[in-house]
Amino acid sequence: MLVSSSSPDSASRAAIRLLKEWLPGASAVEGSGDLELSSRADQPQLISAEIVEGKTLRAVRVPDVTRTMISGFGAFLDGTQKVRLIGRHFGVPIVLGTTSAAVRVRVNRRLVTWGHKPPRLDQKLYLPLKYLPPLTEALGAGSQRKYGQFQVVDTSIPDASGAYPSEHPTVLLERAIRAVDRQRDALEDELAEAWCARGEAPLFIDGSITRSPHAAASANAIGVIKSHFTLYVEGEALRTVVGLAKGERSSVFQVTPKSRSAVMSWYLRQRDPEGHDVLWGLVRVEISRCDNPTERADEISRWVLAETSPLALPDGRWDKMSYGIRDAEEFLRAIS
Amino acid sequence: MTEALGRIVATERKPNTPHEFHFWTAIDSPVGIGTIVRVDGANPMDGQIPHIYGIVVEGFSYTDLQSPMHDVLGHDGLPTMAGYAATERAEIRLYTAAVLRQIPEEPLQPVPMGQVFLAEEADVQVALRMDSYLREGANTGIPIGVYRAGGTEAVIYLDADFLLGPEAAHLNITGVSGLATKTSAVEWLLASMFRHFPEDKGSIAAVCFNVKGPDLCYLDQPGKLEKSDEALYEKLDVEPKPFQKVEYFAPYNAKGLALNTFRNNEALLDNVTPLTWGLREVLQFAEVLLNRDDIDAKADALIDFIVQNVVDKEFSDPLLSKKHTVQSFADLDAWFRDVLRGMEQKDGESWRTHHVATIRKMRNRLSNISTRCAGLVTDSGAVSDLPFGSFEDRTVYVVDVANLEEDAQDLIFARIVSKLREHLERRDLGVKHLVVFVDELNKYAPGDGPDTYVRKMLLDIAERGRYLGLVLFSAQQFRSQVHRRVVGNSGTSLFGRMDPDELSTPGYAVLSPATRTKLATLEKGQLMIRHPHFTQPIFVRFPRPAVMQGREGSERYPQAGDVSLDAAILRALRPLDPAITLPWVQEITALFTQEEVIRARNATLLARPENVKAYFSAQFRKIIPAQPATRPMAASIKSAPENDPYGF
Repeated sequence: MLVSSSSPDSASRAAIRLLKEWLPGASAVEGSGDLELSSRADQPQLISAEIVEGKTLRAVRVPDVTRTMISGFGAFLDGTQKVRLIGRHFGVPIVLGTTSAAVRVRVNRRLVTWGHKPPRLDQKLYLPLKYLPPLTEALGAGSQRKYGQFQVVDTSIPDASGAYPSEHPTVLLERAIRAVDRQRDALEDELAEAWCARGEAPLFIDGSITRSPHAAASANAIGVIKSHFTLYVEGEALRTVVGLAKGERSSVFQVTPKSRSAVMSWYLRQRDPEGHDVLWGLVRVEISRCDNPTERADEISRWVLAETSPLALPDGRWDKMSYGIRDAEEFLRAIS
Repeated sequence: MTEALGRIVATERKPNTPHEFHFWTAIDSPVGIGTIVRVDGANPMDGQIPHIYGIVVEGFSYTDLQSPMHDVLGHDGLPTMAGYAATERAEIRLYTAAVLRQIPEEPLQPVPMGQVFLAEEADVQVALRMDSYLREGANTGIPIGVYRAGGTEAVIYLDADFLLGPEAAHLNITGVSGLATKTSAVEWLLASMFRHFPEDKGSIAAVCFNVKGPDLCYLDQPGKLEKSDEALYEKLDVEPKPFQKVEYFAPYNAKGLALNTFRNNEALLDNVTPLTWGLREVLQFAEVLLNRDDIDAKADALIDFIVQNVVDKEFSDPLLSKKHTVQSFADLDAWFRDVLRGMEQKDGESWRTHHVATIRKMRNRLSNISTRCAGLVTDSGAVSDLPFGSFEDRTVYVVDVANLEEDAQDLIFARIVSKLREHLERRDLGVKHLVVFVDELNKYAPGDGPDTYVRKMLLDIAERGRYLGLVLFSAQQFRSQVHRRVVGNSGTSLFGRMDPDELSTPGYAVLSPATRTKLATLEKGQLMIRHPHFTQPIFVRFPRPAVMQGREGSERYPQAGDVSLDAAILRALRPLDPAITLPWVQEITALFTQEEVIRARNATLLARPENVKAYFSAQFRKIIPAQPATRPMAASIKSAPENDPYGF
């Protein structure tokens, strides 16, 4: 996932013009960069996971790692989002969210956009309708509520208990950001499922595959997670993971997130961490459950290691990022 | 309609302008330096979709790599590992094109965003404004070559009105030596002109000065062509044949026995005419042969006096011992001697205002000419010249000066071009348009150095020739070192492969670095063209000329070596009468001096009589052969009377 920052664009200007027209009193916010969550609901955490390869989690040298090994990935999937505070109506934040996702297929060692499912690009207004003057006339009825060229997402709907969010601007802003997040996830899942349905070749997905049951069950969906907010190891296992050397992986374990699909996973050290942070070059790989986790983990680890060249520089996350994912992000940056 | 091969891009840092635009293409697109493209604008202007035509002048390729070091790190410093990377880096082909033409032409705006297409043949005609002179009614296109790019093959035409006048004229070609580009290009262009020059514009001929090597010596002999050349000839609608009408002219060598040309093989002599001039022809251009120190007002006055009062006239003076009729250098020398003798006898310092020192100096210089230009200038005054006044349409006249001394070359250039000019001014040359081809302008019209008569003459053609129909096709290795006014007045310029040092001179600064690089690596048969209708230089391919190349010709028809006088006479006369044999020549010439025999040969060649034997024989003075003395019958002292009574 990429959170990019850029100057006000034509879409932002168009959106604020519309809002000023329909919401007298709305004011534009100039120079707002792209927003990220100011805080996360969860703290970094360690969770123990069920080991499915042996009894204890250990370091395994990935066999047959050579300079000439060949990657089996046929495509790369990534999504991006841009969240921009474009205005306020008496303190109520008006957010424009741009989300996109694309599959980039490798043809003759070059990456091109997948022809069967074009890249997805959405631009939506994220408005807490409860705290704004009625816009029914402008939005019209029905679920596909549109405001001018923009679809509108209500960020003030009540939660499962029926409670409305606070009118605190920061709360409303974080709600909008999470809504954009979900939208990006939805686009990525849509493309991942479409890919898995065709079953063409293994797909390198930037992030977890547990959100989509279809992807989590497909042998062609491989998720590679670069962030380690949650580490699925504790105690000695944690020391084993942070002590992985370049070209080593952990034993395979099973990840079973709440309300998501269970998958098999393992940690893999892509680059020599000496002189760097303990998580330097460390990724976690997710695959669908299978009967031969050792062979599958070795094979896919070799593929992931093969994708470390060429370097994803100048991206700051190049130690964990494959070049295919960087290419997808650059592509999405160009079209969004 | 073909598929788009690129898209226009413009950024604040690299914007498009009315004269330049940028576009990117797929990695494997057939675009290269010199490719002509068409841009279709996205939005109509005044109801018309704008079309912009451009030629690629620069190309860029780069990847998303920020630093070369990243690539080194990515492959652990081992270049061989790069080939195993799962993915190639994203790569761009970005091109810069110079605008050739915008339609509509007004208002002239920066090139808009749009799709880029490879120009097809019809696009090329519009882009280069050839449509204006290829249309029905104009039809003044002269094919110069074929433009090729990505499957497009388009004939490139020069406009005859801008190549041969009157709008613009003259052509200059430059390129390194040894690649057979300059001479070949001119030979090909002459063939194309002879085929395509519009009949309604009148007749055309060419005078080519062969200044080095045998390249122009076999224009009437067929050369070797490859299939690709034949295909080009067909495309360009020119018959792949040697020139049908070629006339060669060359002076004799110093001994006067053989023609001083690479084309003196007996098998090729039928259209080779000796070039010999006498006193009258040379005196008009004496200043060509006299250096600046020789020519002062006094010397000039004496030469003028001789031309006005002495040459071809019966001249008498109390000072002289006899009447003189000066018709040759020999006569002139006799006249000088008589004048000087008379002045010595009179002990006078001047005669008819001419000082004795001036007379002595001019005698020395002028008498010297026939020695310095032996073979060309004759003591006897015999003249054999180009057919001024009866030039024929679509004929090439080659004057071979390759083996001559510099003085003789200068004299030939000066006199022939001056005569051509005189006849064209009087409209009685025989043709309406005449191309004069001169190679080695670095020698004959250098940018610096002395202001020679030849350079002045070339400048005069370049600046005023087009009004007369006299067109200069010139060639050299270093364009930057040729007089600016000669190359500047050339409406059309051709460039073969260029020397990098030459390309670094300021004259080529207008070309992009990529275009200069392409010029430095052009193959044989490729040219870059600048023509008044083309707003940017265009690269074309032309066919190998359908004439025998110099090297092949000199191998097949070796140059004749030194021969005896009899053999030289036989070789000269046999083209006129194949029945002539060596014994016959030996019998006729046995009693005469070499000078007399050569004079008889020259007279015969000039007259080209029907009965060659009789004419040649008649040129010799009568010599009654000696006969053995016979004893006469002794006559009686006194005859006996008829009625002698004592007789029996």
